Amino acid sequence: MTQVAPGGPSPPGSLSIPVGARAWGGAWWRTPTARRYLFGYVLLAPAVLYVALLVGVPFLFSLYLAMSDASVGAPVARFVGLENFASALENAVFYTAVRNTLVFTIGAGILKGLLGTMLAFLLLQPFKGRKVVRALIVIPFTLPIAVSVLGWKWMFDSQFSVINWALSRLGLIGAYGSPDWPVWLGQPTLALLSVMFVNVWRGFPFSAIVLLAGLTSVPPEIIDAAKVDGASFLQRFRKVIVPMIAPILFIGTAFDTVFTLSDLSIVYLLTNGGPDGATEILPTLAYNTGIRGGALGRGAAISLFLFPLLLPAMILLLRTLRRRQF
Amino acid sequence: MSNSFRVPTESPHVSRRRFLQVGGAGVAAGSLLTMLDARQAPAQIKGTSLRMLLWSHYVPAYDVWFDKFTKEWGEKTGVKVRVDHMPHLELPARYAAEFAAGSGHDLIYFVGQILTGQYYRNLVDLSDIAEGLGKKYGGWLESSKSAAQVNGAWYALPDFFISIPVLWRKDLFGSVGLGEPKTWDDLRKAAGQLKAKGHPTGMQFSHCNDANHNWRALMYCFGVKETDPSGQNILLDSKEMREALRFGKALYDEGMTSEVFSWDDASDNRFLASGVASWIHDAISAFHSTRLTNPKVFEQTFVVPEVAGPGGRWNVGEPNVWAIWKFSKNIPAAKEFIQYISDNQKDAMEASLGYNMPFLKDQYKKPMPYLGKDAKLSALQDQEKLTAFLGFPGPMSPAAQEVVTTFIIPDMFTKVARGAPIEDTMKWGVGEVRRIYAKHKAS
Repeated sequence: MTQVAPGGPSPPGSLSIPVGARAWGGAWWRTPTARRYLFGYVLLAPAVLYVALLVGVPFLFSLYLAMSDASVGAPVARFVGLENFASALENAVFYTAVRNTLVFTIGAGILKGLLGTMLAFLLLQPFKGRKVVRALIVIPFTLPIAVSVLGWKWMFDSQFSVINWALSRLGLIGAYGSPDWPVWLGQPTLALLSVMFVNVWRGFPFSAIVLLAGLTSVPPEIIDAAKVDGASFLQRFRKVIVPMIAPILFIGTAFDTVFTLSDLSIVYLLTNGGPDGATEILPTLAYNTGIRGGALGRGAAISLFLFPLLLPAMILLLRTLRRRQF
Repeated sequence: MSNSFRVPTESPHVSRRRFLQVGGAGVAAGSLLTMLDARQAPAQIKGTSLRMLLWSHYVPAYDVWFDKFTKEWGEKTGVKVRVDHMPHLELPARYAAEFAAGSGHDLIYFVGQILTGQYYRNLVDLSDIAEGLGKKYGGWLESSKSAAQVNGAWYALPDFFISIPVLWRKDLFGSVGLGEPKTWDDLRKAAGQLKAKGHPTGMQFSHCNDANHNWRALMYCFGVKETDPSGQNILLDSKEMREALRFGKALYDEGMTSEVFSWDDASDNRFLASGVASWIHDAISAFHSTRLTNPKVFEQTFVVPEVAGPGGRWNVGEPNVWAIWKFSKNIPAAKEFIQYISDNQKDAMEASLGYNMPFLKDQYKKPMPYLGKDAKLSALQDQEKLTAFLGFPGPMSPAAQEVVTTFIIPDMFTKVARGAPIEDTMKWGVGEVRRIYAKHKAS
């Protein structure tokens, strides 16, 4: 790096940093501080641009749609204010969808957390073939969602369900056609549990991998010290491990909440919100109203109701995370 | 067609330029007429390319035939054709994306969700082809306009409709002393008696296409009208609708098991083929799949076009229509193709094993392709006389489509079957339908 006198020629290929710019009457932006700032902004710009284009623009566009009477055939439409939001609130199915969305997200989130934690601790133990098992458990997460959900659709089939036939052969339920033959996707509570189960099956390996990454970053000496101090497993987990891996846990939870709340595929492919709205969630209601029904404005308004559900959760998670960092 | 095209002259003194202009026009027009008469494709489409998007047909053999047919047409006309098939449930999202981008396939296809009313401002007016075909084949069925016309203009061209008749087991009906069902009461009686013998019936109470069709068939047979013919006034709040709901519950209680709440469009096909079902209400793809998977059951499976209710006999069909985007890069080739396939409906019907029901009256001349040769299916040759479409007697307007895609009618039947009071269900269902129609009126 070469320093040159103000106004002097720079050798080709060199980066010149003027010294004492103010002293020789130069602009502020030529000072080293300004240049550092500028350099920082330049580095940040692609990320800001990326978020603005891929998140900001679609979000603003969906706001525009939600406040217009746009349809799939007429996206340039007139402004209707909050009419579409009011229309959603008048729809009885909407409340069922909100309730189901919350049950689906919270229920599946808790189950994924529990199963993911258990699996992570199992995978932490040394055993033969651990690497292979670690690779295998991510299969549900990596399979194309359409393929895996169609597989579950067959397993939940009212007539040919392999689960039912196995249970029946074991004598745990009656034969096909008997009243205790479960109709997984037909009975309201069972249907909601079934779609949640598939979400959990698909998502808990992700939770386990995230947790495993956190657990492996905890220095073993600290755990050993806690053991020497007489801390039980639960105490070690709660008082030592969780505080240390909290940032990873928060990020993982944030991702999982967003993915689960906006998960359309599982419900759409298994039940399409039926029977009688038993599994209707906001994404399926928004899709069927906005895209299949063609009412883009009302569909966008329904999907935007996800935003106030997500926002407090995200703020809480990120604020807690920030507090722990400082 | 003769080629005697007289050149009109305004005065006895014709300049050389004028003679060439008028003469050239005459020769061109004459050639075009000859070409049309012989169904030769205009030379202007030679060397162009055409992209079309349509669904994956329920009869796979039809797609094989269609792709071959299209390829041969491409070779004959010199058009490079690309056909994309997609599951019908994915088509609406694809069309929304193509429309938003202003580019995509030249020729598209509506099935399941008829989006003519949504997109008509951006679709090519096909009235010239539709009127030509109407004249050539004895006119269009009145019901065809529901899916293809907006404000009297044809923005889509009807290809065929799918009929959804009753498929019943002669041996099982015979075992309880019953013959061919004629009415919904006959079906209810059979279902009630045969359920006790391990052979219930089933119609979807779930969120799938068949649920929308089957329960509407029952409704229309009970005299229910969704709207008036203009599609502007909702007529669902009626004693006929209450009767239909009551009957639906009785049919469920007496003749079905709870698995119908989980069914998709193919579940009843499997139910029939497994030998359990006493009867189902489904397209003849179920008939054909049973032929392949369970010949013994197939032997005893018979077809009734539709059964009657107190309001008559109405079958609810599923229309399939062609449309062309205004932004299509090859409108002439797209128009030429749909004209060509419309002229070859007999082959199409044969290839679809009688599944594709024509929209043009003359194509119902007996014996119809495939149906006329099959003793069990021949009863479907009069299907056009009892076919109605979703929203009947109103058109398949965007409002009617939204009622379909949000499954309000199947949900009404589900609520009642599960024990909800009919009046509460009517209040909810009619309220939802009114809300949707009001929204569409306002926009």
